Amino acid sequence: MSFRYTMLAAAGGLFLFYLGLLLSLLYFAGGTGFWEALTHPYTLFSIRLSLLAATLATLFAVAIGLPAAYALSRFEFRGKHLLDTFLEVPMIISPIALGAALLVFFNTPLGEAIQDKGFFFVFEIPGIILAQFATIAGLATRLMKASLDEISPRYEAVARSLGSTPWRAFYRITLPLASRGLIASVILSWAKAVGEFGATVTLAGAMPGKTETMPIAIFTALASANIDKAIVLILLLAVLGLVTLYGARLTGKRYRYD
Amino acid sequence: MIKIENLTIILQSFRIIDLCLAIDEGQFHFLLGPTGSGKTLILESIIGLRKPLKGRICVGDKEVQDLPPEQRQISYVPQDLALFPHLTVKENILFGIKARNLDWRLYEGHVQALIEAMRIDSLLDRYPANLSGGEKKRVALLRGLAPKPKLLILDEPLSGLDPSIKADIQHLLKNLHASFHPTTLCVTHDFEEAYFLGDEITVFIDGKVEQAGKKEEVFLKPASRKVAQFLGATNLYRAFVLAQDEQSQRWILGIDGARVSVPMYLCRNPLQVGMEVDLFIRPEEVMILRKGKPVKESLRKNVFEGKILDIMDRGRDYLTFFQTSKEKIPFEISIPSYAFRNLSLSTGQTVSIALREESLWIMR
Repeated sequence: MSFRYTMLAAAGGLFLFYLGLLLSLLYFAGGTGFWEALTHPYTLFSIRLSLLAATLATLFAVAIGLPAAYALSRFEFRGKHLLDTFLEVPMIISPIALGAALLVFFNTPLGEAIQDKGFFFVFEIPGIILAQFATIAGLATRLMKASLDEISPRYEAVARSLGSTPWRAFYRITLPLASRGLIASVILSWAKAVGEFGATVTLAGAMPGKTETMPIAIFTALASANIDKAIVLILLLAVLGLVTLYGARLTGKRYRYD
Repeated sequence: MIKIENLTIILQSFRIIDLCLAIDEGQFHFLLGPTGSGKTLILESIIGLRKPLKGRICVGDKEVQDLPPEQRQISYVPQDLALFPHLTVKENILFGIKARNLDWRLYEGHVQALIEAMRIDSLLDRYPANLSGGEKKRVALLRGLAPKPKLLILDEPLSGLDPSIKADIQHLLKNLHASFHPTTLCVTHDFEEAYFLGDEITVFIDGKVEQAGKKEEVFLKPASRKVAQFLGATNLYRAFVLAQDEQSQRWILGIDGARVSVPMYLCRNPLQVGMEVDLFIRPEEVMILRKGKPVKESLRKNVFEGKILDIMDRGRDYLTFFQTSKEKIPFEISIPSYAFRNLSLSTGQTVSIALREESLWIMR
């Protein structure tokens, strides 16, 4: 087989593999139990909760991750490589381990003090947001740094020589130029937050109608042999993920750089 | 007046120690140095993007070395231009005026005059991606000049252009400077560019200023062998001062057994008999003597006989490789094409050459 066809066959095979997985779900879809599961209040609650928690977690991750990504991209400072390595911690340790670490933290004197002040995280919705934030913040920062790295610092240099403050140069020049990559980073992080399971279930538990997000609901549905509900949620997650990721591909205007 | 005093930058392998520069108002000043000599580091320090180890930078009466770039009023046009790709030409041009919150009414006439001088009226609504190389250069220059900076900094403005566009931009820069007189510091490694456009040239080699002054001065009277070599000089010889002729006010130099007589004014430094010096003989000022024609008195002091080893046609001139018969000293002689045709020279031919006084320069 020619070189070109070997490579293309691998790409096609991978596509068919994932497509086959999704299509196999449809084998059980469409029955009466299917529609019931889709409209069940707990299902609808888990959808709403997932979207809300992932959106908030992503907002926080961007609020901290964007400046951090800028610092990593543009400045030289002590501990830069250490920080860069730490961003990968959520990726290298299992999400369950991350959730367990958060749970342990809220049992230390500092963690208990925070909860005593009325900020409840363990087995509460803020716990879901925190767990998702912990999982995606490192990734979001990494992705946004890569987008900023693509924009030559010389644009900002010129903007500053023309009288822009560093803030103005950032939002008038760097931010619009990197917007395409930044939006894609945000969408990717959000999709990862929506699908987060391990850390969330460890810190916030799996209480239907209270802390049950979509992935957790899939797990509990399977555990109680509710196949219809599991399939509804899996299909919903898949559609949500594919639409947002495909959207990320199409976002932003493409500039030709010099 | 822009003054840079004792600028010191040490970064990795670059060591720039106590650099001093003075640029008069309205002057086109060139910082000329080989590629990789740290010129861009100097620019970045002047603009304020890099903190030098020490040094004073004065723009007018104001010391700016501790100010951020946006407060220095120094416009920067980098080598890659960095036109903002998401803004139209017009938005690019007005960027500096808006960023500084300047009163547009006071700048409108100035910007309009620049737009006309640069011939970019028809490009204002385009994006940089839709401009040619030459158009981009013009827009970048205009963007730098629009807010009337105290100093305009250009980093290799003519690099990477086709020869025809290069000539166009070169003339444009010259005319622009003649009509608007922006105080300009331009960095380049190209001496011809600096000579054509510049008023004054600072030659910067290996982290040090080797020579600074009027361009003619630098070209005709290089301060050292290093400068002469950087300017592309050939015919550089190590020579000894053999004698001093008080009566005719000349030095007699020895090069590998040959004697060259040089008027004393053709050296900047005091010399003494026995000293080792460098003698620079300008290839375009060496004459090939035609047989049977009388030789002028001033040329008779330095006449050598020898052989033509090779001739290279360079289009505009012929580069002739000559070697003296007795001492085997090589010379490169540049002969304009029209003159070459009259001489009918060929390889292997024995001829006599004479050194015009204008061809000589002694460096200590």
